[in-house]
Amino acid sequence: MRGLHIYILLAVAALALVFADRLSSYWMHVAIIAMFYGILASSWSLLAGYAGLFSLGHMAFASIGGYTSALLVQWYGIPIPVGMVAGVALCCVLGGLIGWVCLRMTGPYLAIFTLGFSEIVRIIFATEDDITAGMAGLHVERLFSTTSRLPYFYVAFALLVVSLLLMGVIVRSRWGLFLRAIREDEQAASASGVAVARFRILAFAIASGFAALAGSFYGHYIGILTPSIGGLDFMAVLVVMTVIGGMERLPTAVGGAFVVEFLLEVLRGYGQWRLPLFGIILLLTMRFARNGLLTPLWLRFVQLGEPRAVAATALRDVPQKDPAQ
Amino acid sequence: MTWDYIFVQVANGAVIGIIYALIAVGVTLIFSILKIVNFAHGDLYMLGGYCAYYFIALLGAPPLLAMLLSMATLFALAIVLERLLLTPLYSDATERKDEYGLIITFGLAFFLRNIAVIIFGPYPLKPPSFIPGVQHIGEMTVTNDRLFAGGVGIVLILALLYFMHRTIWGQALDAVSQSRESAAIVGINSRRFNSVAFGIGAALAAAAGALIAPIFSLAPDMGVLPNIHAFVIVILGGMGSVLGSIFAGILLGEAENLFTAFFPDPTRALAYTNAFGLLILMVVLIVRPQGFFGRRHLRME
Repeated sequence: MRGLHIYILLAVAALALVFADRLSSYWMHVAIIAMFYGILASSWSLLAGYAGLFSLGHMAFASIGGYTSALLVQWYGIPIPVGMVAGVALCCVLGGLIGWVCLRMTGPYLAIFTLGFSEIVRIIFATEDDITAGMAGLHVERLFSTTSRLPYFYVAFALLVVSLLLMGVIVRSRWGLFLRAIREDEQAASASGVAVARFRILAFAIASGFAALAGSFYGHYIGILTPSIGGLDFMAVLVVMTVIGGMERLPTAVGGAFVVEFLLEVLRGYGQWRLPLFGIILLLTMRFARNGLLTPLWLRFVQLGEPRAVAATALRDVPQKDPAQ
Repeated sequence: MTWDYIFVQVANGAVIGIIYALIAVGVTLIFSILKIVNFAHGDLYMLGGYCAYYFIALLGAPPLLAMLLSMATLFALAIVLERLLLTPLYSDATERKDEYGLIITFGLAFFLRNIAVIIFGPYPLKPPSFIPGVQHIGEMTVTNDRLFAGGVGIVLILALLYFMHRTIWGQALDAVSQSRESAAIVGINSRRFNSVAFGIGAALAAAAGALIAPIFSLAPDMGVLPNIHAFVIVILGGMGSVLGSIFAGILLGEAENLFTAFFPDPTRALAYTNAFGLLILMVVLIVRPQGFFGRRHLRME
């Protein structure tokens, strides 16, 4: 049966929706945060994994989106979804702008540039405390007035699914091919007729928009925003999640976010030891299984329904990064 | 605002600038040989500071000796890290080495920063002064530690310049940075110099950490800002240029201190000083990505 994995995913999603109310409040919170990271990880994988634009400013866009939506709702009393859309729109434009400004930069230069951008954004949010309440945290109007977390779960789920579908369509289209061409060799891509500049800007704009979506949802869910959400620590966690899962595919990036967030909660008893542990896992993943730990599992999963021989050839056709191949 | 105040700011700026330069020459040295930007450099600086502190606190070493021991320790540690993590950079089988170097050093920084919280504790530590007391020069007061840090910093930078330009190993490093293949043809083992460059960079960062510890204090996240400053300097001075880093380091130290002194709103001056440095970084990257002293063959494509 071809496409078995799609049916399995649909079944799991349906089960998750039906049985969501059985989850304890605590684990529902974990699930919501995992989905928040899922949106961020997949959009960062679109930028860093597909297009090869290793931006360290992704969380900055999440914080800009969050603050924009929160402040607009606070000042003008507009409905929260409109505020979120405004945050997303602003970050699409800003992201495109950053993408345009750093068109000439590659690799580490781009990383340093976006790191500078993200730190400046964080410093401004922390310092202009008469507007943003600084490190004390800005109180944000919550999306629902109920204390139950269930509606947030459904909203997070819907946002994640819609984001993944949109990004999935993008990376499976010609655009995705162009992005990967840019990642592998910009000059060769350009010589083959890929409008490198346009697609680099587009990748930045799209990814930043999704980051803003996640950030604004986070603000309206938690009810408080601090500048640290755009800081290096959050960015590092995002990199850990995406790289451990596998940064070159959207599902593995999301899977990485889910697994790491889940493990962070399960290992809560180990307190401070969790972060260095994930640091080591990240280093080992990068050193020995650069495609990510979930990528082989995902590839098997995708070929579940196919006859054995077909699956074997399909597996061989997948470009491998392993030097042994 | 009196002239004395400005003099003190200039003196402080020079000292901080020299410390920045010490960190930045390591970044630039590592870049010119290994072709990676070391995102973990600030954390090596942090480790160097703590190492010196424990040599003083546990072994009772005199501060200057502790600094030298800390440099040696970090030199060795850096070579171990380089052997363990960075060897795929030298293999042709590795694709997109930029990305590999970025993520691996970024991950290393994350690991070191968080393991430091566990090992050293989250609270700031302060080692004893190198030379207690202050100096009065005219109306202004400068602590001995700052003068000492500046002085030792200059000596170390001069030693590095001597090493780079007047010794056979320094010449070999330069050769490897210009062309790995040509260096190999004349019999230079470029693998060994990868380790040497990473080790020297780490040792200089360790010295900076040990020198700065009595002035500010030690904290596990102390490396984050200097790391970013080192990037500002390296971008300003041009990737791969040691002299450029030294000039740019002092320039940045001065610019930031004067910015703090002249910023109209004193409550925000300190916070925006860092943003100011970052703004310089972004503008230079946009306007002149090869920096102002960059060497053409080292420009990153």
